Amino acid sequence: MTELLLIFISTLLINNFVLSYFLGICPFLGVSGKIESAIGMGLAVTFVMTLATSISWLIYHLILVKFNLLFLQYVIFILVIASLVQMVEMFIRKFSSGLYQALGIYLPLITTNCAILGAALFMVSRNYSFLESVVFGFSGGLGFSLVLLVMAGIRQELEDADVPRVFKGVPLTLITAGLLALIFMGFSGLFSSI
Amino acid sequence: MKETLRIIGVLTSVCLVCAFLLALVYSRAAEKIEVNQNQRLKTAIANLAPGAEKVEEVSLGDSTIFKLSDKKQKLIGYAFLAQGQGYQDKIAILAVIDVSFGKLSGIEILESSETPGLGGKIQETDFLKQFKQLPVNNGLECVKTEAQADGQIKAITGATVSSRAVVDTINKKLVVLKSEIKNLK
Amino acid sequence: MNNRDNFLKGLWSEHPVFRQLLGMCPTLAVTTSAKNGLYMGMAVIFVLTFSSLVVSLIKKIVPNQVRIAVYTVIIATFVTVVDIFFKAYIPDMSRQLGPYLPLIIVNCIILGRCEAFASKNNLKKSTIDALGMSAGFTWGLFVLGSIRELFGSGMILGFTILGKNYNPLIVMILPAGAFIVLGLLVAGMNRLEQK
Repeated sequence: MTELLLIFISTLLINNFVLSYFLGICPFLGVSGKIESAIGMGLAVTFVMTLATSISWLIYHLILVKFNLLFLQYVIFILVIASLVQMVEMFIRKFSSGLYQALGIYLPLITTNCAILGAALFMVSRNYSFLESVVFGFSGGLGFSLVLLVMAGIRQELEDADVPRVFKGVPLTLITAGLLALIFMGFSGLFSSI
Repeated sequence: MKETLRIIGVLTSVCLVCAFLLALVYSRAAEKIEVNQNQRLKTAIANLAPGAEKVEEVSLGDSTIFKLSDKKQKLIGYAFLAQGQGYQDKIAILAVIDVSFGKLSGIEILESSETPGLGGKIQETDFLKQFKQLPVNNGLECVKTEAQADGQIKAITGATVSSRAVVDTINKKLVVLKSEIKNLK
Repeated sequence: MNNRDNFLKGLWSEHPVFRQLLGMCPTLAVTTSAKNGLYMGMAVIFVLTFSSLVVSLIKKIVPNQVRIAVYTVIIATFVTVVDIFFKAYIPDMSRQLGPYLPLIIVNCIILGRCEAFASKNNLKKSTIDALGMSAGFTWGLFVLGSIRELFGSGMILGFTILGKNYNPLIVMILPAGAFIVLGLLVAGMNRLEQK
């Protein structure tokens, strides 16, 4: 149980997907403008990521390893992710057209969200058990959402600020992200040993 | 219906062609990849145990251990791999220990993605030399001050997590191996 | 658009990272040194060029609904080829680039170019576009990697430039430094475009 808790907290804060591993930068820059879309995107990513790591774990251990097909790992994983995103998109379109409108182009872009494929790859290289993989995917998605929300809050505040023209938009977001990364590094002292 | 069939057909054919191509490429390269991985291990063992002429891989419970013998076929020690989570990502360690499992000859870091300049220093001689000829009878302990007792390792300033990770990883593996070693003898 | 302009646009005016703001993940992650940036760039040149080639070849027979899935599978295949190649012939670079090599699959630049250009243009144009874009990506990685390596460790490509008295700015090699330097570079590009 402590093992799972450790994975949860370290993925959420200490080794945050966005700020430590640079995963999910494209949506991070694109969707963090408004708090509502950040929440929607965060939820969608968390959902997809949790499912993706779980399903990938099953396929990896039950099929790829058993049949010595490890070299198909990347192709299979990305197919799983693409299908999951397709299903989530259909689900959202049916049940919340408002959210669907808000997320717009970003929904299919979750497929290319490196965070999801990254989560699956890390799970494999760290040899997590099934339960650990589920927790890992869930906390990875939450960590992404957390940073996305914080960034959205900051950016909404910055909208009224007087920013030099060359810095407006992406450069400012990147620099803010850099400062956030520095701040999150402070979490590394949270446990005496991980 | 015809459209759906076409969709499924194209997707499946593309996947099959790709899978075939990959199988081809992989089969040509698989051997070389394995050689590379073994080479790394061999070089590390050679660095830590220069007298070892023969390296024999044996399984010990769930783990593998390497028996090191000199040119007279006499057993001079063991080598083992240990892996654990560091600050950033996993750390893979190769350790060489004496025949009685009482003293480490030394360790080498095979894989680490720790923060350069901080945790990355676990790969430097200053940290690693502490593990040379280190008694492990009571396990290893990572301390922040100067090492005073046997089995104590001084952590790198500003990289306590990485230093502790190395020590904990070795300790955990030693516990596992020690419990199984009776089966080997 | 003639061939020369088609190639050059990827190097500057439509630079994938600095102008189109795509492919940020690997740009930030692997540029801890100039060498890493260079090798990643070369991997991307291979993947983008061959993926564009194949996509352009089969563009007429791929039904619209599955095109993204098909392109992704093709890209994933070429990335796996590069990954296998690195593991077999340049294993230490494979270790350096780590998970970011397979993550080329989800590099928005590649899918972006296949979708926006290769699926709509002939073989020759698509290949030239791919070469230009990936070359632009590579020099971008090289510059960012060099800056971070220089200020973070005093070296470029392993050659010591700033002497022993230089106290390295470790933050440059850390994620925070990556974000900040890239932010400054994009701002710089904006400035240059303004004139």
